[in-house]
Amino acid sequence: MKQAIALEVNGDTYEVLVSPNQTLLEVLREKLGLTGTKKGCDLGACGACTVLLDGAAYLSCLMLAVDAVGKKIVTIEGLSQGGELHPLQKSFVELGGLQCGFCTPGIIMTAKAVLDEEPQPTEESLKKKMAGNLCRCTGYKKVLDSIMGATARMGGER
Amino acid sequence: MRLPKFDYRRPERIQEACAILLDQPCAKLMAGGTDLLVNMKHRAETPSTIVSLKALPDLDFVQKTNSALRIGALTPLKKVYNDPFVAAKLPALAIAASSVGSYHHQTMGTIGGNLCQQTRCKYFNQSKWWRSSRPLCFKAGGELCHVAKREGVCYSTYCGDVAPALLAFGAEVILTGAHGLRQVPLEEIFSGDGKTPLKIGRGEILTEIVIPNQAADGFSTYGKSANRGSIDFPIVGAAVWRSSSTGESRIALTAVDRKPVRARRLEDFLEGKQLNEETFQAVDGLVAKESRLMPSSIDSLSYKRKLMGLLVQSALSEARGGE
Repeated sequence: MKQAIALEVNGDTYEVLVSPNQTLLEVLREKLGLTGTKKGCDLGACGACTVLLDGAAYLSCLMLAVDAVGKKIVTIEGLSQGGELHPLQKSFVELGGLQCGFCTPGIIMTAKAVLDEEPQPTEESLKKKMAGNLCRCTGYKKVLDSIMGATARMGGER
Repeated sequence: MRLPKFDYRRPERIQEACAILLDQPCAKLMAGGTDLLVNMKHRAETPSTIVSLKALPDLDFVQKTNSALRIGALTPLKKVYNDPFVAAKLPALAIAASSVGSYHHQTMGTIGGNLCQQTRCKYFNQSKWWRSSRPLCFKAGGELCHVAKREGVCYSTYCGDVAPALLAFGAEVILTGAHGLRQVPLEEIFSGDGKTPLKIGRGEILTEIVIPNQAADGFSTYGKSANRGSIDFPIVGAAVWRSSSTGESRIALTAVDRKPVRARRLEDFLEGKQLNEETFQAVDGLVAKESRLMPSSIDSLSYKRKLMGLLVQSALSEARGGE
């Protein structure tokens, strides 16, 4: 049975009618039109659907939309402030941390959660935490370089 | 992939959750959801009701008491391995929890959910389309086990990372039911039956993990071999604990049987012995006897058997370094 829920996404509150079996990913993309969050494997193995829930990196394909009520959800659309790209996004553009760009939203959201938790990660720690985000075209060197580049740029800012 | 339809319940009290389980035997519990929802998308599991534990209060904690370390079942794995006491004194648990899936799974997945995860099999953890080329397997609701090629049995394998570490610590768990709670050794909640791997009473929920103080007094580690080291389920995983005061050893393995297993024959053999090249020579043979390896994964049995010996030996030689 469908139920009306309120989701707080990127600072806005949306009222949506959902079934319990709809994932947060489906609701974000199909009901709210926030297609920046990508559907990759849809089984929690690729990280493309990563969004932030109360600041932590969640796989939105394995999260029921009804379980996201009361959480602050941030998607890739919510990162830029006043038309200005987030330092992570700028760093990816400048250092070429993407090719086709499909995995990029998930990678950037995971990187944001990681850097908020650990502003100056070691390369080893960063590699371990980013391992759940798969990229099928760039390889990972430039992705890691871009994130490391952003740590300097961010300087503790969130 | 859409999830199949189900009734969704989100109790706010543990007793309410137990009552739903008693009332609806087909209901499934969901904590983090990273295991159950994948199987449901594959239609390998299709429960009529999901009882989400996400609204239950007071089960997300790591607490040190005089006699034990107590961990709430809904504590995320990330919080477990980031706990300073766990990181410093119980390295096997910290390593095991931080080797589960990816960073996301460690954020979403809980320690209780990890212990109670489904067993895995190359014929079960597949899409409905993949599985449609064969008759439904026994675990998924059919008759035949494609691994054993027999009816009415299931040889799917328990692949949890955290269970062997906790078994090596001699941990116990608290099961809460409608009429109270009971504390049992962790080992007792695993049935050894692939079809229904958990031996938890109807209407009971695992609510807490209790690690005795003794566990912090000694060496411990967890080693795992996986296809992609950073994110996959173990091909084989092994935890070793060795007391610094009594010289007692406890060794547990995962992904080698339908339940996580203690290597008791090897433990007995090591009793009172020095760890050296001579004792290590017996490891392979003794460890191999503890499991019932079946071809339920893509890895060959001889490879898995070799890994069992290697992982235990490497953990023991690490233990020797500290003695």
